[in-house]
Amino acid sequence: MGNMIEYIKMALKNITANKGRSFLTMLGIIIGISSVIMVMAVGDGTANAMNSEVEDLGTGQINVYCSEEASNAEEWITPEDLTAIRESIEGVDGITPNDGASGTTITGKGEFALSFSAGTEDLQKALNFNLKRGAYFTAADVEEGNRVCVISDSDAKRLFGSDDVVGMDIDVTIGGIAGSYRIVGVTQQKENTSFISYTYEGMPVALDVPYTSFEIFGWKSDSFYSAVVFANDKASSEDVVREMIHLLETRHQCAGEDYFQIQSFQDMLAEMNNMLAIVTTFISCVAAISLVVGGIGVMNIMLVSVTERTREIGIRKSLGAKTSSILMQFLAEAAILTILGGIIGILLGLLGAVGACKLMTASMGSTIYPGVKASTILGATLFSCGIGVFFGIYPARKAAKLSPIEALRRN
Amino acid sequence: MDNLIKVQDMCKVYNPGENEVRALDHVNLEIQRGEFVAIIGHSGSGKSTLMNMLGCLDVPTSGSYYLNGKDVSALNDNQLSEIRNQEIGFIFQGFNLISNLTAIENVELPLIYRGIGRSKRHKLAKEALVRVGLEKRMDHKPSEMSGGQQQRVAIARAIAAEPPVILADEPTGNLDSASTEEIMGILKGLHEAGRSVILITHDNEIADQAKRVVRILDGKIVEDYYNSGRKAQEA
Repeated sequence: MGNMIEYIKMALKNITANKGRSFLTMLGIIIGISSVIMVMAVGDGTANAMNSEVEDLGTGQINVYCSEEASNAEEWITPEDLTAIRESIEGVDGITPNDGASGTTITGKGEFALSFSAGTEDLQKALNFNLKRGAYFTAADVEEGNRVCVISDSDAKRLFGSDDVVGMDIDVTIGGIAGSYRIVGVTQQKENTSFISYTYEGMPVALDVPYTSFEIFGWKSDSFYSAVVFANDKASSEDVVREMIHLLETRHQCAGEDYFQIQSFQDMLAEMNNMLAIVTTFISCVAAISLVVGGIGVMNIMLVSVTERTREIGIRKSLGAKTSSILMQFLAEAAILTILGGIIGILLGLLGAVGACKLMTASMGSTIYPGVKASTILGATLFSCGIGVFFGIYPARKAAKLSPIEALRRN
Repeated sequence: MDNLIKVQDMCKVYNPGENEVRALDHVNLEIQRGEFVAIIGHSGSGKSTLMNMLGCLDVPTSGSYYLNGKDVSALNDNQLSEIRNQEIGFIFQGFNLISNLTAIENVELPLIYRGIGRSKRHKLAKEALVRVGLEKRMDHKPSEMSGGQQQRVAIARAIAAEPPVILADEPTGNLDSASTEEIMGILKGLHEAGRSVILITHDNEIADQAKRVVRILDGKIVEDYYNSGRKAQEA
């Protein structure tokens, strides 16, 4: 066995002497490994990007909403409920109803649909935006029912051709009744939020307004289907949820009726990750199959190579090669082919992953870095070597065990 | 005098049972060190089987075979490989060179399996090629050489490791008359340099060039004589 270097040299000689065949053998392994690595890297990169985005925005954000039973019983969340929650539950930083309305406006640029997000000043905590100009509307605006609004820079440009619009009025029509809102703030989209806040052509212009500002349009905001609670880091969100539900059920005298339901951002995150994991697993399975197929390709080529070289095996044996020598030579050949294929596969996979992430980054606006894990590379490489050795053993043994006379007789 | 080869009562039976073929039938043969022996017979006479036995490519069904003082009739596959590597240099009718290796790489092969280091191996292989007159063709592949040259590479391969026995199986069977003469000249030269050469052939003219002729027919040795005419020994 001390001749390992010689066997490796022989194997290398054979590989280089049959370049076409060697390449075809490696091709399966290359495709298999590169697809595994690419899928894993892009999958993990996407998951990481989504996670960091959601974590940025949604930590401590809890949605509370009324169930069907509550609607049937005409029980809604009231402004008094909100005040109570804000004042009596520890760890609540803010609360806003999740209200809204739609309307239209006509400016010099044409007619636009409007979508109002109505809430308290705490609504800004839910934003995926940074303030660019002016200020957000205040508690006093909410208290007094002022018709003030906050608009995004891109929407401002759509309406007025400029984002320097603080102090300007927007004439709106809601439910056939006209009124006007004064712009107090302009926002700008945060980086890397494209998973959560995507935009499209013809989307309504979005305005954030105090929920109390709809009175002149003929309705009073005193009951809400849902609200968003912002819990701070110090409080565990489970505690906040439990206390909040208890408080609401006490106030509405409906304990045990399941009128109020909770959806936290953590739940959504977990759900999203689950889905992503399923997709990644599925694609990985497909990639793993291609890896196995690649391994079988190696075995087939090795079998052919053994058959083609039976005479050579006979010559070697007649010159004193032992069964183990022949075995080592063929195994070395299989191992070198798969390791080489593995390395090329890893490089191509990484390149592919970087390329795919660039493409996704360009098309989605969110920066995705390929999430390459050492364990993926190590696993894929070990797997490919394992395949090479495993699928190399059978033909190699077959070759090595041939009697020299029989092997020499064949042509 | 010590026997290089001593075959006693050797039998080889293929397909034992009703359709058995007795390729070798109680063969006895002794060959001394330094002899030049031709084993001659028609095809099917058993000469190839005898050559496989002498070359340790196969094991006999019964009987014993002492090669260079060792009983090799009951060795396993690995031990036979070792014996072939240490004791025997093969020369085949079809040359049996490995096509993607150069002449010198082919000559080095048995030395690799013997575990000889790179530089010494290279030196031995070079010497052997020089001895067969191929010093200018060392880096040629078999496909770039004539049949006679290829067979000379094969001879160099057989003698590079200085094995006690050189076993040539129809070495001139695929060659024209000029090359045949050349190869026979080299074999005779090896014998004169003190090597033991065993030549298997069906050709009386070739056999006549050896010192001793052993004729085999139907698996039995029927004649064994020195070319000077007198009977060598009792078979």
